Amino acid sequence: MEPIETDLLVIGAGPGGYVCAIRAGQLGVSTVIVERNRPGGTCLNVGCIPSKALIHVAEQFHIARLQARDGGALGISVSDPRIDLAAAVDWKDGIVSRLNSGVAGLLKKAGVKSIQGEARFIDGKTVMIRSEMGEQRLTARRIVIATGSRPVELPDLPFGGAILSSTQALALTAVPRTLAVVGGGYIGLEIGMAFAKLGAKVTIVEAEARILPQYDTDLTKPVAERLKELGVRVMTGARAGGHAKGRLNVETGGGSERIAAEKVLVTVGRTPGFDGLGLDELSLAMSGPFLRIDEQCRTSMRDVFAIGDVTGEPMLAHRAMAQGEMVAAIAAGRPGGWDKACIPAICFTDPEIVTAGLDPEAARAAGHAVRTASFPFRANGRAMTLGAETGFVRVVAREDNHLILGLQAVGAGMAELAAAFSALIEMGARLEDVAETIHAHPTQGEALQEAALAALGHPLHI
Amino acid sequence: MANYDVIIIGAGPGGYVCAIRCAQLGLKTAVVEGREALGGTCLNVGCIPSKALLHASHQLHEAQENFPKMGLKGKAPSVDWKQMLAYKSEVIEGNTRGIEFLFKKNKVDWIRGWGSIPEPGQVKVGEDTHSAKHIVIATGSEPAPLEGVAIDEKVVVTSTGALELGKVPKRMVVIGAGVIGLELGSVYARLGADVTVIEYLDTITPGMDGEVQKTLQRILKKQGLKFVLGAAVQKSEATKTRAKVTYRLKKDDSEHEIEADCVLLATGRRPFTDGLGLDKLGVKLTKQGQIEVGRDWQTGVRGIYAIGDAVPGPMLAHKAEDEGMAVAEQIAGRHGHVNYGVIPGVIYTWPEVAAVGETEQTLKAAGRAYRAGKFMFMGNARAKANFAAEGFVKILADKDTDRILGAHIIGPAAGELIHEICVAMEFGAAAQDVALTCHAHPTYSEAVREAALACSDGAIHS
Ligand SMILES: Cc1cc2nc3c(=O)[nH]c(=O)nc-3n(C[C@H](O)[C@H](O)[C@H](O)COP(=O)(O)OP(=O)(O)OC[C@H]3O[C@@H](n4cnc5c(N)ncnc54)[C@H](O)[C@@H]3O)c2cc1C
Ligand SMILES: Cc1cc2nc3c(=O)[nH]c(=O)nc-3n(C[C@H](O)[C@H](O)[C@H](O)COP(=O)(O)OP(=O)(O)OC[C@H]3O[C@@H](n4cnc5c(N)ncnc54)[C@H](O)[C@@H]3O)c2cc1C
Repeated sequence: MEPIETDLLVIGAGPGGYVCAIRAGQLGVSTVIVERNRPGGTCLNVGCIPSKALIHVAEQFHIARLQARDGGALGISVSDPRIDLAAAVDWKDGIVSRLNSGVAGLLKKAGVKSIQGEARFIDGKTVMIRSEMGEQRLTARRIVIATGSRPVELPDLPFGGAILSSTQALALTAVPRTLAVVGGGYIGLEIGMAFAKLGAKVTIVEAEARILPQYDTDLTKPVAERLKELGVRVMTGARAGGHAKGRLNVETGGGSERIAAEKVLVTVGRTPGFDGLGLDELSLAMSGPFLRIDEQCRTSMRDVFAIGDVTGEPMLAHRAMAQGEMVAAIAAGRPGGWDKACIPAICFTDPEIVTAGLDPEAARAAGHAVRTASFPFRANGRAMTLGAETGFVRVVAREDNHLILGLQAVGAGMAELAAAFSALIEMGARLEDVAETIHAHPTQGEALQEAALAALGHPLHI
Repeated sequence: MANYDVIIIGAGPGGYVCAIRCAQLGLKTAVVEGREALGGTCLNVGCIPSKALLHASHQLHEAQENFPKMGLKGKAPSVDWKQMLAYKSEVIEGNTRGIEFLFKKNKVDWIRGWGSIPEPGQVKVGEDTHSAKHIVIATGSEPAPLEGVAIDEKVVVTSTGALELGKVPKRMVVIGAGVIGLELGSVYARLGADVTVIEYLDTITPGMDGEVQKTLQRILKKQGLKFVLGAAVQKSEATKTRAKVTYRLKKDDSEHEIEADCVLLATGRRPFTDGLGLDKLGVKLTKQGQIEVGRDWQTGVRGIYAIGDAVPGPMLAHKAEDEGMAVAEQIAGRHGHVNYGVIPGVIYTWPEVAAVGETEQTLKAAGRAYRAGKFMFMGNARAKANFAAEGFVKILADKDTDRILGAHIIGPAAGELIHEICVAMEFGAAAQDVALTCHAHPTYSEAVREAALACSDGAIHS
């Protein structure tokens, strides 16, 4: 096939890559994007979107079951519902395929050339693209590596059969009777909780002393309590061994136990997706297993950029997208550098956890004298009308000038508070600024204002 | 009989917040409230009960409309209206008890009964006269009557009666397509009533952004609400169980009749100042019956202040609360401040509507050059995963400076999303500031960022 030349080549059409390509196209840069799979990457195909769809179904099913069981506090009577997981997965696949074609359409509209195939570096300006059609050489002035990540495998529990990665768990067509989740991070808990709501007997096996170890215990406690209510067993300080005959071997400090597990979901982290990429040809500087980048997402080789999960933590879609947008602007000759004051993170468990900026411990560790305060949802009118009184909003501010360093929340529907959290931190808001911004009533957002008031020593509703 | 620094008349959101803040600032404070419970219109017969019913009826709607689509099977759900009302009452009680607790905690006295002001510095309740250096009138509002429509609160009701109907009506006529009419109309439409909304103007939700009005009307129509616009209601005639409403269409002056087993009059609210003795004091009222106040919320009579629904401005709980806070600061010798340019308004229909600042209509009228950045929820991944992809976010920014002048959202969780814009507007931020803030994925809030992008470089996902 004819060799291609382009200004910008993006390898991988996940949220990092496709956003980079669309923006570059919009800014008039001649752009090609190569993807070996379907457009949308991990996020749209086997990550954020399918997991959130499953969580949504599971939550609705759970509500309906509670209504059927206790007559329904809200006054809605339903008969005991059934879940047809195959139908639910069809529904989810429908959403995913609409999003796939949506992304493909957006790329086209922005004037980006999409090629389906696997890219392999020849040198810092050249890649070979292999597809069903054969091989094609491509030279580009600038190349962006956006090949994302894949699930880490455990030697004792190789993926296949009863051992599932998150990808396979999201494609199950029947709810397993028993499910062991190895790894109590956000992905494992999100999916594990969803299956618990769908009726599986779930056990979480976590090596650390507690689940969601990246969050402080104030934030994780409501989630731990919810797990208990849902009948999920949590084993901490525990190591998973092999799986045989529907049982998983788990070693705890005390000894070992064989727990019932028709399926085992392994969510022990993600590793960069360099397979088949031929990175050896470039010998780029690394930072641990990830590519080392500067504040413009440049790797150690001139005009080779890297964005998204290949650049390490936090491995989040919106970070990948923001990096992609920035690199596109740089490729278009605009000035740019990474200057985000914060990258919010959301854990879509029940209740949801949101964090932006520094938590109290991190703020102290950074040498600040801090004041923190929180406001509980049990004193928030909107939460009462939603029957969702668990959780709180917490603010972390500097003691001397009240500059807000961090905001955290746990509760139902917290995901949508994250945007205001990051906006405040980006703008360098002080406690007084939040306290004096009118928040609509009745909303969950009022809890943010109250937390700021509380930090100033005079909350109104508590 | 006692001496106070401050006596507040009325324990709605304006009054109770003012009282708590006064007490926190060290003032000896009492509140006079004639109702059996604290919390005013908002907690007893307003925001909170309406949102409780909206939440419950939405759950029902969700089960009917979307369960089959996502693989949830079971018999069609039914409504236990008594139980739904019980749920609402429970939510109200939780809220009003909460205020009682806050009064105790902050040492605010509740003087039970209806108050009047025989002379400046004195408040009379029953036989007792109390003295106060400062008096704050926070007596709120009541439903505005309409000539020819006699209210019996059984068949022909105001919002108060509509929150506790004996049964779900088969046919309901709502007079007035404002926030309250549409919210309560939605509740009964979801519960199975055949709802017709009659509005005098040619659009619903007067004063809102024109595109939002049209979109909301289209969506509500799809949900089964019928609209008769440009119609002047002449009269209603009621028996014990039914009512007939006569209206005249403005376009051809034709007269029509419509029958229903419940008529909700929701043509607005008017300030309630009866029995205070304002006439004798010389406190001036506007033509609409609102108490005239200066910039410090003081009436023409020194030491008498007024806030909330009883004074000019949007009749919203959070506006009343903020004025309550500001007056308290003022009385304590500090500087109270309310930014009337940034007061969000929310309609809790499905989808929700939220707005803040200028509309395209007001900007055009003022001859101000602006850009409108719009993003449809169709292009938002989370909205797609949750059956919530109707509606849009629109941000209006100054053409030259990019400063955000207003925002209009119709879509999921709009009431929470608007706060990010409020914060940005309080900071005088440009649309680009919102665009450059990292928004978590997958959230509805990403649509806000995309709309901000659409004000300049263009959105990514559209
Ligand atoms: C179950 C799950 C839930 C998640 N939930 C969330 C969430 O709620 N919020 C959030 O922010 N993040 C979430 N994530 C993380 C998120 O999916 C990733 O951070 C994000 O997808 C990273 O984007 P990326 O563009 O770096 O890479 P990816 O999305 O991994 O995309 C990389 C693409 O590159 C392609 N590719 C790789 N090598 C080549 C090659 N040689 N040639 C051509 N193409 C190639 C791959 O096929 C893939 O499509 C979740 C992840 C999982 C697994
Ligand atoms: C159905 C409905 C839904 C609503 N939904 C919302 C919403 O979602 N969001 C929102 O922001 N707003 C909403 N509102 C409006 C909101 O309720 C009002 O804006 C708010 O309650 C005004 O507060 P206020 O303190 O001024 O007065 P009110 O809440 O009206 O309180 C005044 C109090 O004063 C008492 N009082 C009056 N005269 C005397 C006297 N002489 N002596 C002693 N006591 C007296 C009354 O009994 C009353 O309790 C809604 C209103 C209704 C009717």
